Amino acid sequence: MGDVMTPFEFRECVNILKSTGRKAGNLRELRDGVAMVSDGSIFHHTCQYFLKGRITEYTNDFAQWAGEGLEERALSEHLSNIDPYACGTLGDVRSELLRVIDSYLEIFPEPREAMPGDEFFFNEPVTLVAPVGIKAGNLAEFLIAVKFVDAASLYYHFYEARLRLGGRIDDFTKWFIDTGRQELAEKIRKIDPFMHNLDGIREHLVEAVEAEVKKGMEVI
Amino acid sequence: MISNYTGIVPGSDMLFIRKLAERLAGKSFLHINSTKAGGGVAEILQRMIPIMVELGIDARWDIIEGDDRFFDITKKLHNSLQGSPETINDDMWEYHLEVNKRNAKKLNLDADAVLIHDPQPAPLIGFKQRGVWIWRCHIDVASPYKGIFENLSRYCTQYDAAIFSVAKFTRSLGIDQFIIPPSIDPLSDKNRDLSDEEIHDTRVRFNLPPDRPIILQISRFDRFKDPIGVIQAYRMVKKYNDCLLVLAGSPATDDPEGEAVLKEVQEYASDDPDIRILMLPPFSDRDINALQRIATVVLQKSLKEGFGLTVSEAMWKGKPVIGGAVGGIPLQIVHGLTGFLVHSVEGAAFRIRQFLNYPEMAERMGTMGREYVRNNFLITRQIRDYLTVWYSQEHKGSNLLEL
Repeated sequence: MGDVMTPFEFRECVNILKSTGRKAGNLRELRDGVAMVSDGSIFHHTCQYFLKGRITEYTNDFAQWAGEGLEERALSEHLSNIDPYACGTLGDVRSELLRVIDSYLEIFPEPREAMPGDEFFFNEPVTLVAPVGIKAGNLAEFLIAVKFVDAASLYYHFYEARLRLGGRIDDFTKWFIDTGRQELAEKIRKIDPFMHNLDGIREHLVEAVEAEVKKGMEVI
Repeated sequence: MISNYTGIVPGSDMLFIRKLAERLAGKSFLHINSTKAGGGVAEILQRMIPIMVELGIDARWDIIEGDDRFFDITKKLHNSLQGSPETINDDMWEYHLEVNKRNAKKLNLDADAVLIHDPQPAPLIGFKQRGVWIWRCHIDVASPYKGIFENLSRYCTQYDAAIFSVAKFTRSLGIDQFIIPPSIDPLSDKNRDLSDEEIHDTRVRFNLPPDRPIILQISRFDRFKDPIGVIQAYRMVKKYNDCLLVLAGSPATDDPEGEAVLKEVQEYASDDPDIRILMLPPFSDRDINALQRIATVVLQKSLKEGFGLTVSEAMWKGKPVIGGAVGGIPLQIVHGLTGFLVHSVEGAAFRIRQFLNYPEMAERMGTMGREYVRNNFLITRQIRDYLTVWYSQEHKGSNLLEL
């Protein structure tokens, strides 16, 4: 290949949680909270859900609470079906959450109360970001790096980037676009962030980049 | 020493600890609690302080001293914060403050960051000289007895920030509140790998047979740990499966009720030779480690719990665990995945029987549990989080910190 590209600098992030001081004991209070809390809180309770290691039928904290805290199973299915990555911005995610909750409240206007202690607690992340100390100057170096970097780095570039860049794009896709690799960028863009965990994302990245590297080798 | 954790803990923990330490090196970090022995707080501080020192931070750990009356009051305070109906009158609050005043005169409270652990030393905030002061609450304050937290919060609200182990323990305090679970140290005597000889030595000393299933609960002799409920569950299981029950605990200098509860448990166990009640001396960490490795099933059937780190300890050893669905236990046990959560004696008995009858399921959950602990509950993550809180308090106003 021997191509010279603007290096991709791998970074990673970790979060610690901060309480917003707001909690909900029923669906109306949850609605009020969703309407009021910060974008960071919406991001944490939707996009960061899978980081908690829960392997359940739910896809976000709101759905989990509706199902387990309130036992409103139909609502939890509706909420679970919200794909935050397809929504575009966090404002769109918030609007979609409100739309689903409002629709449910129209049909069932008197929702039950959660048991004391089982309320929903709105939190938000404090995020630390740091360079890992790895730069990839070409595709082969990128491939090696992406195989071995910590999961926290993949999270930062593939998931957190969507919050940072404010759209449906991740750092990897952006780098491939910026360096003229449109086809590879499209492949990466098509990896569904909603349907995979970090191990799955790594597998797809490696597969796509490896194919591209092999293609380059065949040309030589 | 910190490099010994490489390869055991997640790489990101190591990266962020080093980055934060570069920024905080040379600054002082004072921890204060009420006992050097017994309980999870003392245990983790013993390990955490030397690591922070090695990282270049001037970390210190002091304790407040008190008499029997003080610790009777703070035990009542602890119990009532966990929901027990206890009376703490004005005289008692006054004495609580008075003992802290005396300690403040003896302690060097000058530091860049001060972390005060639990309610016993909470009034020390009144003697703040400088720096960031953080109150760390390790106990379950989700449903305190009426009025008790309001009284304590006269101190808590004066801190710069508070840390709770679980989101539902957070209160309306008007200060930053962080949610940081505690942790275990994979290299401590309590959790490091043991040789077969070391395990054998413990087995022989406690006369535990190698060929019978062993149910184990390790905890202080405290009513909130429900040792009587554990014996009841064991008796239900015993009708179907042969097994031994081991209840093991260490005394804590700040827990005056321990002896009375131990006596109750001994009486309730009666003369059943298959119930072994072990009062281990302080610093019996290697024996506790070995007992957890010897056990077939590990219980933490608490009724109230700050966090219940014995759960993570057992999971780290790949053991199937059953825990009461209280405090921080549901954060560690993902029901059906890394263990079982229970709400009753009957529930505990049923899950013990499942584990005894399906060893392959026990092994699968044990393996998942170990990985779950690796990613969430090891000491490096907690050091990283404490340093983050300190650093974030020095850079207030942003939820995104570039290192």
